[in-house]
Amino acid sequence: MVLEPQTKISERALTVWRVTGAIAFLIVLLVGGGIIVPAVIFDWPIWIIPAVVAICLLHGYMAIWFVPKLRWKRWRYEVRDQEVELQHGVFIVKRTLVPMIRVQHVDTKQGPLLRKYGLASVAVSTAATVHEIPALEIEEAEQLRVFISRLARVAEEDV
Amino acid sequence: MSEPKRMHPIAAVLNTVRQIKDMIVPFGVFVIFGSNNFDLGYLVGALGVAILFLVAGVISWYRFTYRIEEGELRIEYGLFVKHKRYIPFERIQSLDYSEGILQRIFGLVKVTVETAGSTGGGKGDAELVAITKKEAGVIQEMLVRAKSQKTADAESLEETNGSVIYRMTGKELVLLATTSGGMGVILSAVFAFAFQLDEVIPYKKIFKDVSEYAAKGMAFIALAVFIVLFLAWAASVVATLVKYANYKVKKVGEDLVITRGLLEKRQFTIPLNRIQAVRIVENPLRQIFGLASASVHSAGGSAGNVESWKVLVLPVIKKDKIPALLEPYLEGYQLAPALKGLPRQSLRRYIFRGWIMAAPLVILALVFFKEWGLLSFLLFAISAPWSWLSFKDAGFCLEDDSLTLRARGFSRQTVMMKKKKVQSLTLVESPFQKKKELSTITAAVKSGAGASGGKVMDMDKDDAQSVYHWFSREES
Repeated sequence: MVLEPQTKISERALTVWRVTGAIAFLIVLLVGGGIIVPAVIFDWPIWIIPAVVAICLLHGYMAIWFVPKLRWKRWRYEVRDQEVELQHGVFIVKRTLVPMIRVQHVDTKQGPLLRKYGLASVAVSTAATVHEIPALEIEEAEQLRVFISRLARVAEEDV
Repeated sequence: MSEPKRMHPIAAVLNTVRQIKDMIVPFGVFVIFGSNNFDLGYLVGALGVAILFLVAGVISWYRFTYRIEEGELRIEYGLFVKHKRYIPFERIQSLDYSEGILQRIFGLVKVTVETAGSTGGGKGDAELVAITKKEAGVIQEMLVRAKSQKTADAESLEETNGSVIYRMTGKELVLLATTSGGMGVILSAVFAFAFQLDEVIPYKKIFKDVSEYAAKGMAFIALAVFIVLFLAWAASVVATLVKYANYKVKKVGEDLVITRGLLEKRQFTIPLNRIQAVRIVENPLRQIFGLASASVHSAGGSAGNVESWKVLVLPVIKKDKIPALLEPYLEGYQLAPALKGLPRQSLRRYIFRGWIMAAPLVILALVFFKEWGLLSFLLFAISAPWSWLSFKDAGFCLEDDSLTLRARGFSRQTVMMKKKKVQSLTLVESPFQKKKELSTITAAVKSGAGASGGKVMDMDKDDAQSVYHWFSREES
């Protein structure tokens, strides 16, 4: 049996995703309000209002609570001597193997939100594909970057 | 050959022509929408612009010099800003040659220098638009010598030594030309034929409300569509004949060299050790006749030049001839692997997926054509056997260090990859797949500056796991 990847990503990622979800929810609320107001003014069919409210609430629940939680629970990665393995996906579970000898470079990236929570994302690039680990604690991301790039260099081989 | 050289003056003309070609759309728009009355001013203006282009072409030819110095191809050019590009010979992947009509008249050749990592719209490599064949031969020779560090066996451009692997026969050329874009024509032929059948099938009695005139009109439209398609097809046949005439594949040193073309001669070089994957494609029409095409994905090549990523090696050939032809040269590739198919329970998923894809079309048809839209339900009937075919065709083969994945979109595609060339491997499992113990496998290889690869949907879970194991380097 291939080992399942074990390492979880930072728990603070959950917070970041919830904040992102909340921002999206605000936008949905604005759009919803934009529908409800004319619905009241112009006497549109009455069912529109509860429908819009329901959609907004459902979206809020999914975006702030349900999806981040499951996403965080499912996200696993593992860096071994010869390969990086990633596993993620809320409903559809995706597992990817990236051999070290195929890694071209490793980037860490930090948006304003990630920075606020002391997180960073790590992108592992091969000659053909890019694989991202979305939120790691900044020291961990840094370590990982150094670690992967060192291992990748050892395994130098022509494409 | 260390003193800077200029290209043949014809390059100036070619530069001009290219610049005019680049400007023709905006210029045309300007002329059409600019004003309605064509007067002398316009003519003079257009002429002035053309002359400006010519002058620019001449100057850019004048400013463009190339030389070979210290194992580098050194190019300097630029109208206002002086550019210098030095390309070390070791970095040069291949020299591709092509001869347009103008070049042929003057016995010249266009040389495209392909380097490994050139990205961003083909900016990375260099182009010598028009130099004499002798010059090209000298460059080639120096390149070969620099690369192999020994006296080159003086390969001239005219007749490169090396064994001919494959020469396209006249029959294959005709097959290639006639079967490449043929589906549309055949479909429309069937369509037109069906309308001719109205003498046998009483359409008019079936649809009373469809007037005789409309029926005639439809038949006429069908015929017109058929004729137009037929002409387009005939044109594409001629174009293909011209493009692929004299098709030859040779092995020269460690490279595959492909030459082709009647009016414009082209030569491609594929370094064998840069090959990332081999792909065999059978479009439905060719599959009926047991024909297929074989291409290789190569790393490197310039980003702008699609032809250098996925190179057709055998444009069309009897499928069972491919292994004997290519296996001796593509080391380690098994080109006729015994594939393992999919488990029965994935057939339903294939058919279901086909229907999901057809559903939006059916809904649109119902909305727009009302009762006539009901005909679109036929799509469901057609999609099922197609899905069955896709299901039958999908499969994989694991063998030591190579992985083969086969699937059908429109054409049946078989991709052969070596473990060490696969960039990443992904295994996907949706809740529905999980219930039926199925998984999807995707393998990515480098192709030019981007990615390509293979994908098989709904494999048996254990099979998918075995592929995943195979790719893992830390098997426990």
